[in-house]
Amino acid sequence: MTMTDSNRGHVLPIYVLADESGSMTDLIDDLNDGLRSLHRTLLGEPMAAAKVRFSVLGFSDDVVERVHLADLRGTDEFPLLTPRGRTSYLAAFEDLIDRIPADVRSLKAEGYQVHRPAVFLLSDGRPNPDEDWKDAHRRLTDRNTTLAAPNVIACGIVDADARTIDEVATRPEFGFVAEKGADVGAVIAKFCAALTASVIASGRSLDSAHPVLEVEKPEGFTVAIDVI
Amino acid sequence: MPVPPPSGPVEEEAGGCPWGTLVVGTAGPAFEPRPPTGLSYRPDTVCDGWSTDAVDLRLASVRGYQHRYDGRPREDDAAAGWDECTGTVVFAVADGVSEARQPHIGAQLACRCAVEEMLAQVRAGGGFVTDWRRLLSTVHWQLREQAGRLTRARDADVEETAGLLATTLAAGAATPGPGGVEITLVSVGDSGIWTLGHERLRPLAGGKRAGTDGLVSSAVQSLPYVPDGILPLRRSLAPGTTLLVGTDGFGDAVGDGRGDVARLFASELRRPVPPVRFAHLLDFSRETFDDDRTLVALWPRSEGPRCGR
Repeated sequence: MTMTDSNRGHVLPIYVLADESGSMTDLIDDLNDGLRSLHRTLLGEPMAAAKVRFSVLGFSDDVVERVHLADLRGTDEFPLLTPRGRTSYLAAFEDLIDRIPADVRSLKAEGYQVHRPAVFLLSDGRPNPDEDWKDAHRRLTDRNTTLAAPNVIACGIVDADARTIDEVATRPEFGFVAEKGADVGAVIAKFCAALTASVIASGRSLDSAHPVLEVEKPEGFTVAIDVI
Repeated sequence: MPVPPPSGPVEEEAGGCPWGTLVVGTAGPAFEPRPPTGLSYRPDTVCDGWSTDAVDLRLASVRGYQHRYDGRPREDDAAAGWDECTGTVVFAVADGVSEARQPHIGAQLACRCAVEEMLAQVRAGGGFVTDWRRLLSTVHWQLREQAGRLTRARDADVEETAGLLATTLAAGAATPGPGGVEITLVSVGDSGIWTLGHERLRPLAGGKRAGTDGLVSSAVQSLPYVPDGILPLRRSLAPGTTLLVGTDGFGDAVGDGRGDVARLFASELRRPVPPVRFAHLLDFSRETFDDDRTLVALWPRSEGPRCGR
Protein backbone atom coordinates (compact mmCIF):
# COMPACT_ATOMS: atom_id res chain seq x y z
CA MET A 1 0.00 0.00 0.00
CA THR A 2 1.18 3.50 -0.67
CA MET A 3 0.77 6.18 1.95
CA THR A 4 -1.74 7.96 -0.28
CA ASP A 5 -3.96 4.95 -0.87
CA SER A 6 -7.09 5.64 1.13
CA ASN A 7 -8.87 2.69 -0.41
CA ARG A 8 -7.26 -0.60 0.67
CA GLY A 9 -10.59 -2.34 1.07
CA HIS A 10 -14.00 -2.40 2.70
CA VAL A 11 -14.34 -3.89 6.18
CA LEU A 12 -17.11 -4.58 8.69
CA PRO A 13 -16.11 -4.41 12.39
CA ILE A 14 -17.91 -7.10 14.40
CA TYR A 15 -17.89 -7.26 18.21
CA VAL A 16 -18.93 -10.29 20.23
CA LEU A 17 -19.90 -8.96 23.65
CA ALA A 18 -19.97 -12.06 25.83
CA ASP A 19 -21.36 -12.20 29.35
CA GLU A 20 -18.58 -13.51 31.62
CA SER A 21 -20.52 -13.12 34.87
CA GLY A 22 -20.27 -15.92 37.45
CA SER A 23 -23.53 -17.50 36.35
CA MET A 24 -21.88 -18.38 33.03
CA THR A 25 -19.48 -20.82 34.73
CA ASP A 26 -21.25 -23.94 33.44
CA LEU A 27 -21.71 -22.46 29.95
CA ILE A 28 -18.39 -20.81 29.23
CA ASP A 29 -16.82 -23.94 27.68
CA ASP A 30 -19.70 -24.18 25.22
CA LEU A 31 -19.25 -20.53 24.29
CA ASN A 32 -15.50 -20.91 23.83
CA ASP A 33 -16.11 -24.01 21.68
CA GLY A 34 -18.61 -22.07 19.60
CA LEU A 35 -16.19 -19.22 18.96
CA ARG A 36 -13.50 -21.71 17.94
CA SER A 37 -15.97 -23.26 15.53
CA LEU A 38 -16.74 -19.81 14.10
CA HIS A 39 -13.02 -19.26 13.57
CA ARG A 40 -12.59 -22.59 11.76
CA THR A 41 -15.59 -21.95 9.54
CA LEU A 42 -14.41 -18.48 8.55
CA LEU A 43 -11.02 -19.87 7.57
CA GLY A 44 -12.95 -21.78 4.89
CA GLU A 45 -14.57 -18.54 3.69
CA PRO A 46 -11.49 -16.44 2.95
CA MET A 47 -13.22 -13.73 0.97
CA ALA A 48 -15.91 -13.12 3.57
CA ALA A 49 -13.30 -13.28 6.35
CA ALA A 50 -11.18 -10.66 4.59
CA LYS A 51 -13.98 -8.14 4.98
CA VAL A 52 -14.51 -8.65 8.71
CA ARG A 53 -12.49 -7.33 11.65
CA PHE A 54 -13.44 -9.36 14.68
CA SER A 55 -13.32 -8.41 18.35
CA VAL A 56 -14.32 -10.51 21.36
CA LEU A 57 -15.04 -8.64 24.59
CA GLY A 58 -15.83 -10.39 27.85
CA PHE A 59 -17.92 -8.30 30.22
CA SER A 60 -18.89 -8.66 33.88
CA ASP A 61 -18.04 -5.85 36.33
CA ASP A 62 -15.79 -4.47 33.61
CA VAL A 63 -14.76 -5.34 30.07
CA VAL A 64 -11.78 -7.49 29.15
CA GLU A 65 -10.63 -7.39 25.56
CA ARG A 66 -10.00 -10.99 24.42
CA VAL A 67 -9.61 -10.31 20.67
CA HIS A 68 -9.19 -6.90 19.05
CA LEU A 69 -10.05 -6.13 15.41
CA ALA A 70 -8.61 -9.46 14.31
CA ASP A 71 -8.33 -10.52 10.70
CA LEU A 72 -9.35 -14.11 11.46
CA ARG A 73 -7.34 -15.45 8.54
CA GLY A 74 -4.20 -14.59 10.47
CA THR A 75 -5.35 -15.49 13.98
CA ASP A 76 -4.27 -18.78 15.55
CA GLU A 77 -6.38 -19.20 18.66
CA PHE A 78 -8.93 -17.17 20.56
CA PRO A 79 -8.04 -16.40 24.18
CA LEU A 80 -10.60 -18.09 26.41
CA LEU A 81 -13.53 -16.32 28.00
CA THR A 82 -13.44 -16.68 31.79
CA PRO A 83 -16.37 -16.42 34.21
CA ARG A 84 -16.03 -13.69 36.83
CA GLY A 85 -18.09 -11.05 38.69
CA ARG A 86 -21.56 -9.65 37.97
CA THR A 87 -23.46 -8.50 34.89
CA SER A 88 -22.75 -4.83 34.16
CA TYR A 89 -24.39 -3.78 30.91
CA LEU A 90 -23.37 -0.25 31.90
CA ALA A 91 -19.66 -1.16 31.82
CA ALA A 92 -20.14 -2.97 28.52
CA PHE A 93 -21.89 -0.10 26.75
CA GLU A 94 -19.58 2.58 28.19
CA ASP A 95 -16.63 0.59 26.86
CA LEU A 96 -18.13 0.42 23.37
CA ILE A 97 -18.88 4.18 23.36
CA ASP A 98 -15.14 4.81 23.51
CA ARG A 99 -13.95 1.73 21.69
CA ILE A 100 -15.96 1.79 18.48
CA PRO A 101 -15.16 5.35 17.31
CA ALA A 102 -11.48 4.74 18.08
CA ASP A 103 -11.50 1.47 16.14
CA VAL A 104 -13.25 3.04 13.16
CA ARG A 105 -10.76 5.92 13.10
CA SER A 106 -7.91 3.42 13.30
CA LEU A 107 -9.24 1.35 10.39
CA LYS A 108 -9.80 4.46 8.28
CA ALA A 109 -6.29 5.63 9.08
CA GLU A 110 -5.06 2.30 7.74
CA GLY A 111 -6.83 3.07 4.46
CA TYR A 112 -10.01 1.02 4.86
CA GLN A 113 -13.56 2.05 4.03
CA VAL A 114 -15.66 1.02 7.02
CA HIS A 115 -19.24 -0.24 7.19
CA ARG A 116 -21.47 0.27 10.21
CA PRO A 117 -20.16 -1.92 13.05
CA ALA A 118 -22.24 -4.77 14.47
CA VAL A 119 -22.32 -5.87 18.11
CA PHE A 120 -23.52 -9.38 19.03
CA LEU A 121 -24.36 -9.48 22.75
CA LEU A 122 -24.87 -12.83 24.48
CA SER A 123 -26.11 -12.79 28.08
CA ASP A 124 -27.54 -15.39 30.43
CA GLY A 125 -28.89 -13.08 33.06
CA ARG A 126 -30.35 -9.76 33.99
CA PRO A 127 -28.22 -6.62 34.19
CA ASN A 128 -27.18 -5.37 37.63
CA PRO A 129 -30.33 -3.80 39.13
CA ASP A 130 -28.44 -0.93 40.74
CA GLU A 131 -27.16 0.47 37.45
CA ASP A 132 -28.77 2.70 34.83
CA TRP A 133 -27.46 1.16 31.63
CA LYS A 134 -30.17 2.61 29.41
CA ASP A 135 -28.62 6.06 29.05
CA ALA A 136 -25.28 4.53 28.05
CA HIS A 137 -27.09 2.29 25.56
CA ARG A 138 -28.95 5.28 24.12
CA ARG A 139 -25.69 7.21 23.68
CA LEU A 140 -23.98 4.19 22.14
CA THR A 141 -26.68 3.62 19.55
CA ASP A 142 -27.54 7.28 18.80
CA ARG A 143 -25.98 8.04 15.42
CA ASN A 144 -25.86 11.77 16.29
CA THR A 145 -23.92 11.08 19.50
CA THR A 146 -21.51 8.23 18.83
CA LEU A 147 -19.40 8.11 15.70
CA ALA A 148 -20.21 4.87 13.86
CA ALA A 149 -23.00 3.94 16.31
CA PRO A 150 -23.37 0.17 15.88
CA ASN A 151 -26.22 -2.15 15.09
CA VAL A 152 -26.76 -4.29 18.22
CA ILE A 153 -27.97 -7.88 18.00
CA ALA A 154 -28.90 -9.28 21.42
CA CYS A 155 -29.34 -12.94 22.35
CA GLY A 156 -30.63 -13.95 25.75
CA ILE A 157 -30.27 -17.41 27.33
CA VAL A 158 -31.29 -19.01 30.65
CA ASP A 159 -32.62 -16.17 32.86
CA ALA A 160 -32.30 -13.35 30.36
CA ASP A 161 -35.30 -11.04 30.39
CA ALA A 162 -37.04 -10.80 27.03
CA ARG A 163 -37.98 -7.16 27.51
CA THR A 164 -34.37 -6.24 28.34
CA ILE A 165 -33.05 -8.11 25.30
CA ASP A 166 -35.58 -6.31 23.13
CA GLU A 167 -34.42 -2.96 24.55
CA VAL A 168 -30.78 -3.76 23.91
CA ALA A 169 -31.35 -4.79 20.27
CA THR A 170 -31.39 -1.84 17.88
CA ARG A 171 -34.21 -3.33 15.82
CA PRO A 172 -37.03 -5.64 16.87
CA GLU A 173 -35.76 -8.35 14.54
CA PHE A 174 -32.29 -8.14 16.14
CA GLY A 175 -33.44 -9.40 19.59
CA PHE A 176 -33.60 -13.13 20.37
CA VAL A 177 -34.24 -15.19 23.51
CA ALA A 178 -33.76 -18.94 23.86
CA GLU A 179 -36.91 -20.97 24.19
CA LYS A 180 -37.69 -22.06 27.75
CA GLY A 181 -36.38 -25.49 28.67
CA ALA A 182 -33.89 -25.56 25.81
CA ASP A 183 -30.55 -27.37 26.18
CA VAL A 184 -28.37 -24.33 26.87
CA GLY A 185 -25.16 -25.88 25.53
CA ALA A 186 -26.93 -26.66 22.27
CA VAL A 187 -28.45 -23.20 22.23
CA ILE A 188 -25.02 -21.57 22.55
CA ALA A 189 -23.71 -23.77 19.74
CA LYS A 190 -26.61 -22.63 17.60
CA PHE A 191 -26.00 -19.00 18.56
CA CYS A 192 -22.42 -19.36 17.39
CA ALA A 193 -23.53 -21.08 14.19
CA ALA A 194 -25.98 -18.26 13.52
CA LEU A 195 -23.29 -15.71 14.34
CA THR A 196 -21.00 -17.42 11.85
CA ALA A 197 -23.66 -17.36 9.16
CA SER A 198 -24.35 -13.70 9.89
CA VAL A 199 -20.67 -12.82 9.70
CA ILE A 200 -20.26 -14.62 6.37
CA ALA A 201 -23.45 -13.17 4.91
CA SER A 202 -22.57 -9.68 6.12
CA GLY A 203 -19.06 -9.96 4.74
CA ARG A 204 -20.48 -10.93 1.40
CA SER A 205 -23.20 -8.33 1.40
CA LEU A 206 -20.64 -5.55 1.59
CA ASP A 207 -20.40 -5.93 -2.14
CA SER A 208 -24.03 -6.49 -2.88
CA ALA A 209 -26.52 -3.75 -3.45
CA HIS A 210 -28.35 -4.30 -0.19
CA PRO A 211 -28.32 -1.92 2.76
CA VAL A 212 -29.02 -4.11 5.75
CA LEU A 213 -26.95 -6.18 8.12
CA GLU A 214 -27.62 -9.84 7.52
CA VAL A 215 -28.74 -11.41 10.79
CA GLU A 216 -29.49 -15.10 10.91
CA LYS A 217 -32.04 -16.10 13.54
CA PRO A 218 -30.43 -18.71 15.79
CA GLU A 219 -32.19 -22.05 15.75
CA GLY A 220 -34.18 -22.50 18.95
CA PHE A 221 -34.53 -18.78 19.51
CA THR A 222 -37.61 -16.66 19.27
CA VAL A 223 -37.63 -12.98 18.48
CA ALA A 224 -37.61 -11.19 21.85
CA ILE A 225 -40.72 -9.16 21.29
CA ASP A 226 -42.80 -12.31 20.70
CA VAL A 227 -42.36 -13.65 24.23
CA ILE A 228 -42.90 -10.51 26.25
CA MET B 1 0.32 17.47 -13.17
CA PRO B 2 0.68 13.81 -14.15
CA VAL B 3 0.23 11.34 -11.35
CA PRO B 4 2.92 8.68 -11.02
CA PRO B 5 1.98 5.11 -11.86
CA PRO B 6 0.97 2.86 -8.96
CA SER B 7 3.77 2.77 -6.45
CA GLY B 8 2.14 -0.11 -4.59
CA PRO B 9 2.77 -3.58 -5.91
CA VAL B 10 1.12 -4.29 -9.24
CA GLU B 11 2.18 -7.75 -10.23
CA GLU B 12 1.15 -10.39 -12.66
CA GLU B 13 0.65 -13.77 -11.08
CA ALA B 14 1.03 -17.16 -12.76
CA GLY B 15 4.80 -17.11 -13.06
CA GLY B 16 5.13 -14.12 -15.31
CA CYS B 17 2.52 -15.35 -17.78
CA PRO B 18 1.37 -12.25 -19.67
CA TRP B 19 -2.25 -13.16 -18.93
CA GLY B 20 -1.71 -13.85 -15.26
CA THR B 21 -3.94 -12.00 -12.86
CA LEU B 22 -2.94 -8.42 -12.22
CA VAL B 23 -2.54 -7.88 -8.50
CA VAL B 24 -2.97 -4.50 -6.84
CA GLY B 25 -1.85 -4.39 -3.21
CA THR B 26 -2.77 -7.68 -1.55
CA ALA B 27 -4.32 -10.30 -3.83
CA GLY B 28 -7.56 -12.06 -3.00
CA PRO B 29 -7.36 -15.81 -2.42
CA ALA B 30 -6.44 -18.02 -5.36
CA PHE B 31 -8.97 -20.67 -6.43
CA GLU B 32 -10.50 -22.24 -9.50
CA PRO B 33 -13.80 -20.52 -10.38
CA ARG B 34 -16.96 -22.59 -10.04
CA PRO B 35 -19.31 -22.74 -13.03
CA PRO B 36 -22.31 -20.46 -12.65
CA THR B 37 -25.67 -21.94 -11.81
CA GLY B 38 -28.67 -21.10 -13.96
CA LEU B 39 -30.53 -22.43 -16.94
CA SER B 40 -29.09 -20.20 -19.64
CA TYR B 41 -25.47 -19.75 -20.69
CA ARG B 42 -23.85 -16.80 -18.95
CA PRO B 43 -20.18 -16.18 -19.81
CA ASP B 44 -17.77 -15.28 -17.04
CA THR B 45 -16.30 -12.40 -19.02
CA VAL B 46 -17.42 -10.37 -21.99
CA CYS B 47 -15.44 -7.72 -23.79
CA ASP B 48 -15.93 -5.65 -26.91
CA GLY B 49 -14.32 -2.80 -28.70
CA TRP B 50 -14.56 -0.83 -31.90
CA SER B 51 -13.97 2.61 -33.34
CA THR B 52 -16.12 5.07 -35.22
CA ASP B 53 -14.75 8.16 -36.93
CA ALA B 54 -15.32 10.07 -33.69
CA VAL B 55 -14.58 7.71 -30.79
CA ASP B 56 -12.86 4.52 -29.73
CA LEU B 57 -15.00 2.36 -27.45
CA ARG B 58 -13.95 -0.42 -25.10
CA LEU B 59 -16.32 -2.41 -22.94
CA ALA B 60 -15.88 -5.26 -20.50
CA SER B 61 -17.89 -7.03 -17.84
CA VAL B 62 -16.20 -9.57 -15.58
CA ARG B 63 -17.64 -11.91 -12.96
CA GLY B 64 -16.54 -10.99 -9.46
CA TYR B 65 -14.28 -13.27 -7.45
CA GLN B 66 -17.00 -13.91 -4.85
CA HIS B 67 -19.44 -15.03 -7.56
CA ARG B 68 -16.74 -17.22 -9.09
CA TYR B 69 -16.11 -18.75 -5.66
CA ASP B 70 -19.82 -19.28 -4.97
CA GLY B 71 -20.70 -20.51 -8.48
CA ARG B 72 -23.07 -17.63 -9.13
CA PRO B 73 -23.45 -15.95 -12.51
CA ARG B 74 -22.12 -12.52 -13.36
CA GLU B 75 -24.86 -10.08 -12.36
CA ASP B 76 -23.38 -7.05 -14.14
CA ASP B 77 -23.83 -6.38 -17.82
CA ALA B 78 -23.11 -3.85 -20.53
CA ALA B 79 -24.17 -3.09 -24.09
CA ALA B 80 -23.27 -0.56 -26.77
CA GLY B 81 -24.32 0.42 -30.27
CA TRP B 82 -24.08 3.24 -32.79
CA ASP B 83 -26.06 5.11 -35.37
CA GLU B 84 -24.31 5.08 -38.71
CA CYS B 85 -25.94 8.27 -39.99
CA THR B 86 -25.04 10.60 -37.15
CA GLY B 87 -22.08 8.72 -35.67
CA THR B 88 -23.69 8.78 -32.23
CA VAL B 89 -22.50 5.99 -29.94
CA VAL B 90 -24.79 4.75 -27.16
CA PHE B 91 -23.83 2.59 -24.20
CA ALA B 92 -25.22 1.17 -20.97
CA VAL B 93 -23.89 -0.57 -17.86
CA ALA B 94 -26.03 -2.31 -15.25
CA ASP B 95 -25.56 -4.10 -11.94
CA GLY B 96 -28.25 -6.60 -10.99
CA VAL B 97 -29.17 -6.36 -7.29
CA SER B 98 -27.90 -9.53 -5.63
CA GLU B 99 -30.97 -9.98 -3.44
CA ALA B 100 -33.22 -10.19 -6.51
CA ARG B 101 -33.83 -13.74 -7.73
CA GLN B 102 -32.64 -13.27 -11.33
CA PRO B 103 -30.50 -10.12 -11.22
CA HIS B 104 -28.38 -11.12 -14.21
CA ILE B 105 -31.48 -11.21 -16.40
CA GLY B 106 -32.51 -7.78 -15.10
CA ALA B 107 -29.09 -6.30 -15.85
CA GLN B 108 -28.89 -7.82 -19.32
CA LEU B 109 -32.41 -6.77 -20.22
CA ALA B 110 -31.91 -3.22 -18.92
CA CYS B 111 -28.72 -2.72 -20.94
CA ARG B 112 -30.04 -4.10 -24.21
CA CYS B 113 -33.39 -2.39 -23.90
CA ALA B 114 -31.72 0.94 -23.04
CA VAL B 115 -29.40 0.73 -26.04
CA GLU B 116 -32.30 -0.07 -28.39
CA GLU B 117 -34.41 2.78 -27.06
CA MET B 118 -31.51 5.25 -27.21
CA LEU B 119 -30.75 4.26 -30.79
CA ALA B 120 -34.40 4.71 -31.75
CA GLN B 121 -34.39 8.20 -30.25
CA VAL B 122 -31.03 9.06 -31.82
CA ARG B 123 -32.31 8.07 -35.26
CA ALA B 124 -35.44 10.15 -34.80
CA GLY B 125 -33.68 13.03 -33.06
CA GLY B 126 -30.78 13.91 -35.27
CA GLY B 127 -28.15 12.16 -33.23
CA PHE B 128 -29.45 12.95 -29.75
CA VAL B 129 -31.43 11.13 -27.11
CA THR B 130 -34.33 13.53 -26.62
CA ASP B 131 -36.41 11.96 -23.85
CA TRP B 132 -34.49 10.38 -20.99
CA ARG B 133 -37.63 9.91 -18.92
CA ARG B 134 -39.06 7.81 -21.71
CA LEU B 135 -35.86 5.77 -21.74
CA LEU B 136 -36.24 4.88 -18.06
CA SER B 137 -39.95 4.21 -18.48
CA THR B 138 -39.22 1.86 -21.36
CA VAL B 139 -36.72 -0.09 -19.24
CA HIS B 140 -39.21 -0.14 -16.36
CA TRP B 141 -41.92 -1.70 -18.49
CA GLN B 142 -39.57 -4.13 -20.20
CA LEU B 143 -38.52 -5.39 -16.77
CA ARG B 144 -42.15 -5.76 -15.69
CA GLU B 145 -43.01 -7.54 -18.91
CA GLN B 146 -40.10 -9.94 -18.44
CA ALA B 147 -41.06 -10.52 -14.80
CA GLY B 148 -44.56 -11.41 -15.95
CA ARG B 149 -43.15 -13.94 -18.42
CA LEU B 150 -40.84 -15.48 -15.85
CA THR B 151 -43.59 -15.83 -13.26
CA ARG B 152 -46.26 -16.71 -15.82
CA ALA B 153 -48.34 -13.90 -14.38
CA ARG B 154 -50.44 -11.62 -16.52
CA ASP B 155 -49.06 -8.48 -14.86
CA ALA B 156 -46.10 -8.35 -12.52
CA ASP B 157 -46.31 -5.35 -10.21
CA VAL B 158 -43.32 -3.20 -9.32
CA GLU B 159 -42.50 -5.07 -6.10
CA GLU B 160 -42.64 -8.46 -7.79
CA THR B 161 -40.46 -7.16 -10.61
CA ALA B 162 -37.92 -5.71 -8.17
CA GLY B 163 -37.80 -8.98 -6.25
CA LEU B 164 -37.00 -10.81 -9.46
CA LEU B 165 -35.02 -8.43 -11.66
CA ALA B 166 -33.90 -5.31 -9.73
CA THR B 167 -30.95 -3.62 -11.38
CA THR B 168 -29.05 -0.36 -11.52
CA LEU B 169 -28.54 1.31 -14.90
CA ALA B 170 -26.28 3.99 -16.32
CA ALA B 171 -26.97 4.81 -19.95
CA GLY B 172 -25.54 7.45 -22.20
CA ALA B 173 -24.93 8.77 -25.69
CA ALA B 174 -21.83 10.30 -27.28
CA THR B 175 -22.71 12.57 -30.18
CA PRO B 176 -19.94 13.94 -32.41
CA GLY B 177 -20.17 17.59 -33.37
CA PRO B 178 -18.02 20.40 -34.65
CA GLY B 179 -16.79 21.22 -31.14
CA GLY B 180 -15.96 17.68 -30.12
CA VAL B 181 -17.98 14.85 -28.63
CA GLU B 182 -21.05 15.72 -26.54
CA ILE B 183 -21.81 13.22 -23.79
CA THR B 184 -25.23 12.93 -22.16
CA LEU B 185 -26.16 10.23 -19.67
CA VAL B 186 -28.45 9.24 -16.85
CA SER B 187 -27.93 6.87 -13.95
CA VAL B 188 -30.18 5.06 -11.51
CA GLY B 189 -28.12 3.52 -8.74
CA ASP B 190 -24.49 3.70 -7.74
CA SER B 191 -22.61 3.35 -11.01
CA GLY B 192 -19.90 5.94 -11.38
CA ILE B 193 -18.69 8.28 -14.11
CA TRP B 194 -15.09 9.46 -14.38
CA THR B 195 -12.94 11.42 -16.76
CA LEU B 196 -9.36 10.48 -17.39
CA GLY B 197 -6.91 13.09 -18.57
CA HIS B 198 -3.30 13.97 -17.87
CA GLU B 199 -2.95 10.48 -16.39
CA ARG B 200 -5.38 11.25 -13.63
CA LEU B 201 -8.79 9.76 -13.01
CA ARG B 202 -11.36 12.25 -11.74
CA PRO B 203 -14.80 11.28 -10.37
CA LEU B 204 -17.50 13.17 -12.27
CA ALA B 205 -20.72 11.79 -10.84
CA GLY B 206 -22.31 8.79 -9.15
CA GLY B 207 -20.60 6.12 -7.11
CA LYS B 208 -20.88 5.56 -3.37
CA ARG B 209 -20.40 8.37 -0.89
CA ALA B 210 -19.49 8.01 2.77
CA GLY B 211 -22.12 9.34 5.18
CA THR B 212 -21.54 12.21 7.60
CA ASP B 213 -20.08 9.71 10.07
CA GLY B 214 -17.59 8.51 7.48
CA LEU B 215 -19.17 5.07 7.11
CA VAL B 216 -19.94 3.56 3.72
CA SER B 217 -23.24 1.94 2.86
CA SER B 218 -24.37 -0.34 0.07
CA ALA B 219 -27.87 1.16 -0.06
CA VAL B 220 -28.77 1.67 -3.68
CA GLN B 221 -31.59 2.84 -5.93
CA SER B 222 -32.58 0.40 -8.61
CA LEU B 223 -34.98 -0.12 -11.49
CA PRO B 224 -37.86 -0.89 -11.92
CA TYR B 225 -38.26 1.98 -9.44
CA VAL B 226 -37.82 5.19 -11.43
CA PRO B 227 -36.70 8.05 -9.17
CA ASP B 228 -38.26 11.49 -9.51
CA GLY B 229 -36.22 14.33 -10.85
CA ILE B 230 -33.55 12.40 -12.71
CA LEU B 231 -31.54 14.94 -14.70
CA PRO B 232 -29.16 13.90 -17.45
CA LEU B 233 -25.51 14.81 -17.03
CA ARG B 234 -24.05 16.68 -20.02
CA ARG B 235 -20.37 17.13 -20.77
CA SER B 236 -18.16 17.93 -23.72
CA LEU B 237 -15.40 15.41 -24.06
CA ALA B 238 -12.26 17.31 -24.95
CA PRO B 239 -9.57 15.66 -27.05
CA GLY B 240 -7.19 13.83 -24.75
CA THR B 241 -9.90 13.16 -22.19
CA THR B 242 -11.37 9.70 -21.73
CA LEU B 243 -14.83 8.98 -20.33
CA LEU B 244 -15.25 5.97 -18.02
CA VAL B 245 -18.62 4.63 -16.89
CA GLY B 246 -18.53 1.69 -14.50
CA THR B 247 -20.52 -0.27 -11.97
CA ASP B 248 -19.71 -0.14 -8.24
CA GLY B 249 -17.46 -3.17 -8.52
CA PHE B 250 -15.06 -0.89 -10.39
CA GLY B 251 -16.02 2.31 -8.58
CA ASP B 252 -15.51 0.95 -5.08
CA ALA B 253 -11.98 -0.10 -5.97
CA VAL B 254 -11.22 3.24 -7.63
CA GLY B 255 -12.53 5.17 -4.62
CA ASP B 256 -11.68 8.84 -4.67
CA GLY B 257 -9.44 8.42 -7.71
CA ARG B 258 -6.20 8.73 -5.75
CA GLY B 259 -5.41 5.13 -4.88
CA ASP B 260 -3.40 2.40 -6.55
CA VAL B 261 -6.30 1.04 -8.61
CA ALA B 262 -7.12 4.50 -9.97
CA ARG B 263 -3.47 5.05 -10.85
CA LEU B 264 -3.31 1.71 -12.63
CA PHE B 265 -6.22 2.60 -14.89
CA ALA B 266 -5.06 6.19 -15.38
CA SER B 267 -1.74 4.86 -16.55
CA GLU B 268 -2.98 1.98 -18.70
CA LEU B 269 -5.91 3.73 -20.37
CA ARG B 270 -4.10 6.81 -21.61
CA ARG B 271 -4.97 5.47 -25.04
CA PRO B 272 -7.19 2.61 -26.22
CA VAL B 273 -5.93 -0.87 -25.44
CA PRO B 274 -7.08 -4.05 -27.18
CA PRO B 275 -10.48 -5.20 -25.89
CA VAL B 276 -9.05 -8.37 -24.38
CA ARG B 277 -6.43 -6.35 -22.52
CA PHE B 278 -9.21 -4.03 -21.32
CA ALA B 279 -11.03 -6.99 -19.76
CA HIS B 280 -7.75 -8.32 -18.34
CA LEU B 281 -7.10 -5.00 -16.60
CA LEU B 282 -10.61 -4.91 -15.20
CA ASP B 283 -10.16 -8.39 -13.74
CA PHE B 284 -7.37 -7.26 -11.36
CA SER B 285 -7.21 -8.89 -7.95
CA ARG B 286 -7.24 -6.90 -4.71
CA GLU B 287 -8.56 -8.38 -1.49
CA THR B 288 -12.08 -7.34 -0.38
CA PHE B 289 -12.86 -6.02 -3.88
CA ASP B 290 -14.59 -9.12 -5.22
CA ASP B 291 -17.79 -7.77 -6.77
CA ASP B 292 -18.64 -8.06 -10.47
CA ARG B 293 -17.03 -5.24 -12.45
CA THR B 294 -18.21 -3.57 -15.63
CA LEU B 295 -16.62 -0.66 -17.43
CA VAL B 296 -17.17 1.27 -20.66
CA ALA B 297 -14.47 3.64 -21.90
CA LEU B 298 -14.73 6.21 -24.69
CA TRP B 299 -11.77 8.03 -26.22
CA PRO B 300 -12.49 10.89 -28.64
CA ARG B 301 -10.53 10.08 -31.76
CA SER B 302 -7.59 12.19 -32.71
CA GLU B 303 -4.66 11.85 -35.00
CA GLY B 304 -1.88 9.43 -34.31
CA PRO B 305 -1.40 5.71 -34.37
CA ARG B 306 -3.95 3.54 -32.63
CA CYS B 307 -3.30 0.38 -30.71
CA GLY B 308 -4.81 -2.43 -32.75
CA ARG B 309 -6.28 -5.69 -31.69
